[in-house]
Amino acid sequence: MQPYTAILSEILIDASTLQKRVAELGAQISQDYAGLDLLLLCILRGGVVFLVDLMRHITVPHAVDFMAISSYGVGARASSGSVRLILDLQTDIQDRHVLLVEDIVDSGNTLAYVLELLRTRNPATLKVCALLDKKARRQVNVPIDYCGFVIPDKFVFGYGLDLDEYYRNLPFVAVVDETRYPPR
Amino acid sequence: MQDYREFLDEILFMPEVIARRVAELGAQISADFQGEELLVVCLLKGALTFTANLTPHITVPQTLDCMSLSSYGIGHYASSGNVRVNLDLQTNIEGRNVLLVEDIVDSGRTLDHVLRMLRTREPKSLKVCVLLDKKERREVAVEVDYLGFEIPDKYVFGYGIDIDEHYRHLPFIATADLRRYRRPT
Repeated sequence: MQPYTAILSEILIDASTLQKRVAELGAQISQDYAGLDLLLLCILRGGVVFLVDLMRHITVPHAVDFMAISSYGVGARASSGSVRLILDLQTDIQDRHVLLVEDIVDSGNTLAYVLELLRTRNPATLKVCALLDKKARRQVNVPIDYCGFVIPDKFVFGYGLDLDEYYRNLPFVAVVDETRYPPR
Repeated sequence: MQDYREFLDEILFMPEVIARRVAELGAQISADFQGEELLVVCLLKGALTFTANLTPHITVPQTLDCMSLSSYGIGHYASSGNVRVNLDLQTNIEGRNVLLVEDIVDSGRTLDHVLRMLRTREPKSLKVCVLLDKKERREVAVEVDYLGFEIPDKYVFGYGIDIDEHYRHLPFIATADLRRYRRPT
């Protein structure tokens, strides 16, 4: 794999801007969930980096759980959002205050489906915290209760978001130079 | 492993009786789905035997998929009924005719939650085929479209249904006297 510098078009959100915003979100969440038993729910793997940084700024006691999902592939209609559960939650979310932590929301189809699925389990409350919102690509209306940044429709990577599984470790959000990636 | 005859209470259904009923169910399902395609969903592990014996009697074009579920909070007195997916379907059921095959339904909570979950995927139709119904234990109303046998509220095993993972292989359905049952070490 090439070093990220070879395929980078621009750094969209630098590390210190990210950290500052994550701290703000954490403080806001701490305030809103004061006195409540919070459960953070992260969908592997893109949201993990954001989750870990966010957790450190959440001062109310909270638990964390994970889901892994994948698309159905052949024959699947992207618009339905329906996804296959590769790993389901360990926690029963009945009567829990659930905050879904997402890396990025674009069409909203998958998020809408996951929220619908979680609602069948009767949580007390269900909210969404997304680091990045690609508002321009939205196809279905989904609530984003805590939003890091609204970003333009660009091909982004870093800070948990991958490019063919790599570069999740980068501390900033960058845009791919599509003339140089994928490599010839 | 303990010999089942030591804790067997009574045999509710002999193999021939089960086979005849399964054939009837297969014929009924085939008639109802004539001209359609079916996705048979087997709920592991208890429904394995029933599913494998049922599908040869279903004559319409069909595919098979499996799901494995467990209830959250096993052992809790008041279960939310929420189910955890241990193994999800490979198939996207959107627009499909789905026949869910279960071994046993009692409170109906688990089945109700499975159906709610599957409905979020917008199948064309969603029907339920259950081998045994412990009607007296029902707490949540669930629609069972195809039923093998209604049974009393007793502890059953055999024909896919286990006691501590054993005895699924037995070709009959029997009740157990748990006072005479020894847990495997």
